[in-house]
Amino acid sequence: MAAVSVHKFSDSITCHAWSPDQSMIALCPNNSEVHIYRLSEEEKWERTHVLQKHDQIVSGIDWSSRSNKIVTVSHDRNSYVWNHETTEWVPTLVILRLNRAALCVQWSPKENKFAVGSGAKTVCVCYYEQENNWWVSKLIRKRHDSSVTSVAWHPNNIFLATTSTDGKCRVFSTFIKGVDTRDAGAGAGAPSDSKFGEQIIQLDLSFCWAFGVKWSPSGNTLAYVGHNSMIYFVDEVGPSPSAQTVAFRDLPLRDVLYISERVIIGVGFDCNPMVFVADERGLWGFLRFLGERKAAASSAKSGSQFSEAFGKFYGQSKYGISNDSDQPSRLRGGIHENCINCIVALSKLGDSTVTRFSTSGLDGRVVIWDLQNQEDLSEYL
Amino acid sequence: MAANTLRLYLTCIRNTLEAAMCLQNFPCQEVERHNKPEVELKTSPELLLNSVIICRNEAERCLIETSINSLRISLKVKQADELENILTKKFLRFLSMRAEAFQVLRRKPVQGYDISFLVTNYHCEEMQKHKLIDFIVQFMEDIDKEISELKLSVNTRGRLVATEFLKQFI
Repeated sequence: MAAVSVHKFSDSITCHAWSPDQSMIALCPNNSEVHIYRLSEEEKWERTHVLQKHDQIVSGIDWSSRSNKIVTVSHDRNSYVWNHETTEWVPTLVILRLNRAALCVQWSPKENKFAVGSGAKTVCVCYYEQENNWWVSKLIRKRHDSSVTSVAWHPNNIFLATTSTDGKCRVFSTFIKGVDTRDAGAGAGAPSDSKFGEQIIQLDLSFCWAFGVKWSPSGNTLAYVGHNSMIYFVDEVGPSPSAQTVAFRDLPLRDVLYISERVIIGVGFDCNPMVFVADERGLWGFLRFLGERKAAASSAKSGSQFSEAFGKFYGQSKYGISNDSDQPSRLRGGIHENCINCIVALSKLGDSTVTRFSTSGLDGRVVIWDLQNQEDLSEYL
Repeated sequence: MAANTLRLYLTCIRNTLEAAMCLQNFPCQEVERHNKPEVELKTSPELLLNSVIICRNEAERCLIETSINSLRISLKVKQADELENILTKKFLRFLSMRAEAFQVLRRKPVQGYDISFLVTNYHCEEMQKHKLIDFIVQFMEDIDKEISELKLSVNTRGRLVATEFLKQFI
């Protein structure tokens, strides 16, 4: 089976993020706090810090991999950047100038900016101002007709993709003078003369709320999901984009993650990650569920040898990792028992290939998945 | 045959609920620092989905309204005669008064319906989704049974009282 470790941290998790070396995890247990856990020598998770500054539910956490800063946003309209100093995490308030809840946050690839999507139908792009020693927020006010549900940075550090509950996916330029240099966006088709907040493209594919936008590792393709159980792929983002839509028969997705240019993992209300792959011609399609389905779950208690064999029978190379005794009447999912709402790649610094990722959901579990031993996926990785 | 159609009706409702109960935490777009069921407020039309009405016949129907963070299920229970009408009204009022105990029960039914449930994303976080659906479907199954039982007992009691009363004239 593809899940390598399962840990239940709390009753419910809204979002999580990993430290650069992946020894620590920051997560929000569905309240106003952010808990940081460290994996001890005995392979046990122990809580090292509790970040208490927000006064409403924390909706987004991102941990920058190079500068080791945590940014959190919350429904209380505020955002904090947490800096690790000796033993403590020191917060810096970011004045977002929002009048509604902040919903999502992401560091830019160069980690000199971060973007916040909000319920105020705006996107904030924040950058650090050295002379004043604070984070300044610039707003993209226009265009969005509803809450911004997710944001994603293009690898060129300039383009920002957003999805909104008005069903649209938009790409903006976030060029900020003094922060970005003109040659930064060279290559990847970045127009060098784009101003801040200029809309590059608006994708009108979905008729329902859109969530979970992501760029492919190269930045050539963009994927997002609709609440109508559809996933949308957009190639050649620019003046003449080409789009593909894939409909699937299961419950809608909440978020996606590119594993490679040809593999994408979707997570959502089906409580089980779904694998979508592109064939040689670049046509995307649903491949399979990553976790085993409920039929297989009930028999996992039997001996390891048997379950190994059983795993082969189900086309999985490894099988029978700790399945804490679940009710037999469970309807959906395998390892997760409730909606999965967050998926994060676990990549080593400097290594561009991702085979490991973690998912967290409303059941309070964080599951780490590894695609290394998935034979049917190896050709796509 | 009747039992069979009831099963079909309930299966249809169960499947619809299964698809509709995909809720998430979503703060209010109109009011600062509020988080309310959108299906009740209906302030942002883009956050609502099309509502579904499932009818078994003219008398029995079920309305399912969905929004991004909440779901409202309203039931119209079969009322064949006046007695059933009174019994349903009284019985469902009795339940609605104790809505807290049921968590997902709405205190007042939606206009034109006998009883309503309101499921929010918080319920989905605390409870298992399929158990919630089971509860609602079970409730629908039981309510008919309960009312026909009540009707029977009222009739029996009426008959007994009448007999007792009329004995004195013999």
